[in-house]
Amino acid sequence: MSKQSKGSDKGHTDGHGHEHDPLEEGAALRVRALEEIVVAKGLVDPEALDSIVEYYERETGPRNGAAVVARAWSDPEFKNWLLQDGTAAINSMGFRGVQGEHIRVIENTDETHNVVVCTLCSCYPWPVLGLAPAWYKSPAYRSRVVREPRVVLEEFGFELPRGTQVRVWDSTAEVRYLILPVRPANTGDLSVEELAQLVTRNGMIGTAAV
Amino acid sequence: MDGIHDMGGKQGFGRIAVEEDYIFRSAWQRRAFALVEALAWSTPYNTDQHRHAVECVPPADYLRLDYFENWIVASEMLLKEAGLVDQSELDDGRKHFDVDQKSHAPVGVHEIVDATKAGADLRFPEDTQSARFAVGQSVLVSHTQAAGHTRVPRYLRGKTGRIVSDEGVFQFADAVVAGRGPDPQHCYTVVFSAQDLWGEEAQVGDSLCADLWEAYLEPA
Repeated sequence: MSKQSKGSDKGHTDGHGHEHDPLEEGAALRVRALEEIVVAKGLVDPEALDSIVEYYERETGPRNGAAVVARAWSDPEFKNWLLQDGTAAINSMGFRGVQGEHIRVIENTDETHNVVVCTLCSCYPWPVLGLAPAWYKSPAYRSRVVREPRVVLEEFGFELPRGTQVRVWDSTAEVRYLILPVRPANTGDLSVEELAQLVTRNGMIGTAAV
Repeated sequence: MDGIHDMGGKQGFGRIAVEEDYIFRSAWQRRAFALVEALAWSTPYNTDQHRHAVECVPPADYLRLDYFENWIVASEMLLKEAGLVDQSELDDGRKHFDVDQKSHAPVGVHEIVDATKAGADLRFPEDTQSARFAVGQSVLVSHTQAAGHTRVPRYLRGKTGRIVSDEGVFQFADAVVAGRGPDPQHCYTVVFSAQDLWGEEAQVGDSLCADLWEAYLEPA
């Protein structure tokens, strides 16, 4: 590996260092063992394993959520529908499926900024955001964002506008949450596609402004 | 259960690794995710049962192991409980006995993608259960700590909030995992003041919302 670890003596966060991580090696073996046993027993079709991950990578992800947000910014009628019945409005755009059966969209305003977490596990609206990033599932995010959301947002490099209140949404039951960010200023002449380019995954979780 | 998984408000976990923006970092994580999803069809276990099995991973392991390894440990537990796999097989990575394929048929490629795309509606018709609480009403979150699976975070127990919406009638995760059937009931979004939860360290006006099944709530 060409990367010499200057100032980074802990290999865990280095995406290229995993082959040398003994914990991961153990986990890889464990997964392979279980896979071989359940395939041998006929409990799982090995082809189905590939198709599941391909499905999530092909059909889900934050670009879906960004399309929803951009449309809401451009079409007041759609926005009303989205805020009233997020699931139906999102389904109408072809985004649906596991962990997206009951989606509620929460609108950020100048008065209130919203941020989403699942303190008990890692609930996340898969059809519109894809599978959750590692930090969203981490003990640090799950423990801290409910208690000190303002400090957490700072760690994400997000400066909350003065006078804005924070509301945290803990996904404790079956509803999954998508944040509708405030539309950035001076974007009046952008097309829906161009607007979608501005929207980030973190903006739709609430750990970024947009 | 009052487990390690119930992380809201715990302290000491340090800064958030915001740069860890990946979904999968290794091929085995990808495989682990797919395996857990695929096994849910043939085993069968549902999401609530798998979640509870993750909660039952011993606390030291839960914190030490990778997120997806915990998923695999949980699936191993459920497979052992169902008598489909035993520990000796897991120890040497080899099949030692056959299972009845008729009652545990593997799910095919197309079925699994179709089912994933369809999802599972966990709601029941609104009129099947009357609502005990109304929007605007103050409610107290029960102090009772269920020993099994529950979706009340510890930091909300004994706190008073206000109902902001009635999300409708849903199957009740606690009952599903306890083997008591769906026990459908209303689930409400309840708002709490941040200062009521965390004291004066929280800012006035900040708030937190959580979705709570009716069984967790009492009139305040």
